[in-house]
Amino acid sequence: MIAQRVGVSAARRIVAGNPSGFFTQHLPKLAASRLSTTQIRPVGTSKITAEDAHSLLAQQRLNRPVAPHLTAYRYDQTWFGASIWNRFTGGALSGAFYAYFAVYLVSPLLGWHVESASLAASFAALPAVAKGGIKFLVAWPFAFHCVNGVRHLSYDLAFGFAKKQIVKWGWAVWGTSLVLGLYAGFAL
Amino acid sequence: MASIMRPAVLRPTAMAARMVKTPAIRSAFRPAIQKEVMSNAIRASAFHTTSKRDILPPPPQVIQGGVNDPVPIPDPSPSHGSYHWTFERLLAGSLVPLTLTPFAAGSLNPTLDAVLCAAILVHSHLGFQTIIVDYVPAKRFPTARKISTWGLNLATALVGLGLYEFETNDVGVTEAIRRVWTA
Repeated sequence: MIAQRVGVSAARRIVAGNPSGFFTQHLPKLAASRLSTTQIRPVGTSKITAEDAHSLLAQQRLNRPVAPHLTAYRYDQTWFGASIWNRFTGGALSGAFYAYFAVYLVSPLLGWHVESASLAASFAALPAVAKGGIKFLVAWPFAFHCVNGVRHLSYDLAFGFAKKQIVKWGWAVWGTSLVLGLYAGFAL
Repeated sequence: MASIMRPAVLRPTAMAARMVKTPAIRSAFRPAIQKEVMSNAIRASAFHTTSKRDILPPPPQVIQGGVNDPVPIPDPSPSHGSYHWTFERLLAGSLVPLTLTPFAAGSLNPTLDAVLCAAILVHSHLGFQTIIVDYVPAKRFPTARKISTWGLNLATALVGLGLYEFETNDVGVTEAIRRVWTA
């Protein structure tokens, strides 16, 4: 019960039924006689059976929104959070790993040459920028997944799990992996 | 009674007084009030409903049993729980020295190379499994879940066979990467 509303409807009833009563002496009499005892509520109700109510509830539950929504969080936590990028990089590396060795298995049937000697030969024929770029595209996810994987293992041992440390080491992982990726791509 | 002077009563009172004073425009006032009440209700409803902002549409769902049934608790099983978790971590941890060694030594001998490849294969398999479990919930996509799980098992078996072929017929994974990298 809201304290402010205590007695309001009772007062209204008195006002409507007995315009010249004690309670209304401070109110304009005409206004008081016009006061309605009901409030306007723009909703419609209808009586339905218990089964219908159940199926309606079930229907509404099926339309529940997905929560929490991604945009409810800060972008640097969701879009650049090291945790999801661990999955992206791991998935990409493992996907490439799976694709290469599956192709290697069936290559004799298709007549393709994907053995290491021919790969090295065709890679050597590429221009230096393409070589560095491709190496970076492999080396950066690898470095990121390695460095961040160690970070996650430290989480599992309950180290570095304070919020400040999570943010600090998150950016440290980005920096380290980019430096390592650039080094492995263009200097090795 | 002080509550009679509170805004909740005051406002309709003032409104009624104004309407009585100006009977000519009273009929014109009524729909205006109703419109105001309605627009207020619409404005208030904006606070109560969640706007639809789908990045991906939510997957289809069905309600099994009644709407107020509790969520079924899966049977506790250490091989799907803590053992699985510990195994994942031990495997990931053992990959740290295995991946650092070839950088230090330049390459790996065939046995260590095979161990590294097998560990990466199992690590990848577990990782893909986790992705499937997360994004293809069995409750909402039962068929797709079955297909993706068994498709992953088949892919891992094929890749394992391919790795075996590579390790026996080629120069080994770490040596192959070194040769391509320095090509």
